[in-house]
Amino acid sequence: MRILVVEDEPDLLRSLAQALREESYAVDTAADGDEGLHKAESWEYDAIVLDVMLPKLDGWQLLARLRKTKKTPVLMLTARDRTMDRVRGLDTGADDYVVKPFDLDELLARLRALIRRSAGQTCNTLDIGDVSIDTAARLVTRAGAVVELTAREYGLVAFLALHRGEVVTRTALYEHLFDEDDSSLSNLLDVHVSNIRKKLGHEFIITRRGHGYSIET
Amino acid sequence: MIFHSIRWRLQIWHGLILVLVLAGFGFTAHRLQQGDEMRRVDQGLQHRLRLLSESLRPPPRGGRPEGRPGLRMDPPPDEGGFPPPGGRRPRENVSDLFEANEDGFYFIVWEPGGVVSKRSENGPAVVFQPPPFLRGMPRSQFRMQGDSRELYEFTPPGECVLVGRSVAPEIGRLRQLALWMLLFGGVVLTLGLAGGWWLATRAIRPIHEITEAAAKIAGGDLSHRISATETDSEFGQLAAVLNSTFARLDAAFTQQARFTSDASHELRTPVTVILSQTQTTLARERTAADYKATAETCQRAAQRMRRLIESLLQLARFDAGQESFRQQPCDLADLTRESADLIRPFADERGVSLIVDLKAAPCMADTDRLAQVMANLLTNAIVHNRSGGEVRVASFTEPSFAVITVTDNGPGIAEADLARIFERFYRADASRTGATGGTGLGLAISKAIVEAHGGAIQASSTLGSGSCFRVRIPSKT
Repeated sequence: MRILVVEDEPDLLRSLAQALREESYAVDTAADGDEGLHKAESWEYDAIVLDVMLPKLDGWQLLARLRKTKKTPVLMLTARDRTMDRVRGLDTGADDYVVKPFDLDELLARLRALIRRSAGQTCNTLDIGDVSIDTAARLVTRAGAVVELTAREYGLVAFLALHRGEVVTRTALYEHLFDEDDSSLSNLLDVHVSNIRKKLGHEFIITRRGHGYSIET
Repeated sequence: MIFHSIRWRLQIWHGLILVLVLAGFGFTAHRLQQGDEMRRVDQGLQHRLRLLSESLRPPPRGGRPEGRPGLRMDPPPDEGGFPPPGGRRPRENVSDLFEANEDGFYFIVWEPGGVVSKRSENGPAVVFQPPPFLRGMPRSQFRMQGDSRELYEFTPPGECVLVGRSVAPEIGRLRQLALWMLLFGGVVLTLGLAGGWWLATRAIRPIHEITEAAAKIAGGDLSHRISATETDSEFGQLAAVLNSTFARLDAAFTQQARFTSDASHELRTPVTVILSQTQTTLARERTAADYKATAETCQRAAQRMRRLIESLLQLARFDAGQESFRQQPCDLADLTRESADLIRPFADERGVSLIVDLKAAPCMADTDRLAQVMANLLTNAIVHNRSGGEVRVASFTEPSFAVITVTDNGPGIAEADLARIFERFYRADASRTGATGGTGLGLAISKAIVEAHGGAIQASSTLGSGSCFRVRIPSKT
């Protein structure tokens, strides 16, 4: 899962990015509205965390312009907590709203829900054969036994599971699993898939040669 | 309850006065008319009594009988025409005078013994004989007998001659007049009361509007205003004064509310940083370097909160008029030089050159406070500048003012923002947090300090070529 954080307060931006990376998200950051809009339009993010007060282009304007081309789920951060502001945010096309100061746990839970809903899922737990994925706890079990996965491996499993039944191209996987700072080589993806197959069974991830990968329902 | 209403009280007074005036007028008019009628009747009676007396008088034989003149107040104008060769003619005339006319005059003559010697046919059946003549009483007298007005006279021989007339037609006419006047008075009173009610209602209506508006404002709707239609009347003026009062209250209230909201908003960001940073850090075991970094982040956030709180407190003291100043003679040139020296390292760091042009500018000022203003203006000029830009600081005197100017060649301030930059928490950029780390209160505090000195602070700017801030302090000696 790849997330864009647009926030102009450097300390907050850094701590949010750190927290999200530790939750196995690939995180891009932007410190002002222009940069945020540029990145949001250039990449397929799974969600955007957007501050309302931004230099150059504020959150409302960014959102309004982004909505012309993209349906990326947006969670807005704001210090304004009047109902009017929340209504405006949601009406402009925001998918959720968090008022500063917020609890990190709540922000993370809302982000998970946002990503899950946009992928058409309603439940935190995904069951694929004897493999069960708990996206809230970021825990994968096989036949009741916990399987240890690295952050990258978990990200890959979660993304494929979220889009199960679909063929996910390698490009899409790169876009969603690695942030702008990753300089991963293409074969690394194959290494991760191979490791996951060792842990969860060879048939868990199916290779569609020439197309990509998928997890069957 | 009704008597506490101004409208009712006005109406009652108004009605009372109208009734008094109408009644007075009506009564007087009625009395005048009555007097007039009576006078006419009395004149008729006197005239006829005179004729009658003359006809009763025996025809003069060589001379006037003694004692007779009393009967005749003044000689009748036709005395000359009364040479009575026959003596009978006037007598008949007199009878005709009483019996043929329709005016209803009648007469009775009593012998001295009380026996009716003569009477006209048209008189009432019963006519009371006047009381006997006594010495000292007037010889002739009017009286009212029922509906009749009568005039009697005692002749010197002791006869009593009475002429009378029914005044029923006059009474009827007067009664009708009274009725008409009552009717007229009623109409006038009704019209007057209606007009009064209308006037009172119109006069009172602004009070209702004011009451309603005040009630709405008391209820919390501060944007409500009195809809004053007549701006020239006393109430219109009152409404205008009240409206401007309400507007100022509303503005002050709105400003206060926005200030509080802005202040809490400004505090939210550092709190968010602290919460987010600590929660992330505490989620798992960290290295010592991570903890140190977290502590530093929290410290930065806390210091920002401290700056904000100090600024807020300072502004609150200014608002309450509690900020004390220690004004002493000083030279703005020295003050400016010190401030410039303090800020120079920061300017160098930003790649901004600081150019100082100082002339003596003596004044009375609290140097610590003015140093705060200078630090703020210089920081702004350096922060809102580009690398390689320059900031010029100058001090000089103008007639009765010591002046400092801080000029930069940065991006400048848009005209719309220029008018508002001295407002609390106003930032030309939508970003609140910004990279500048300012509180958004610096210029507001500077303005408060300069104005407390009796001076003024002004900003001018051209987009693209820079801004100029100008501080003027009265140069009291």
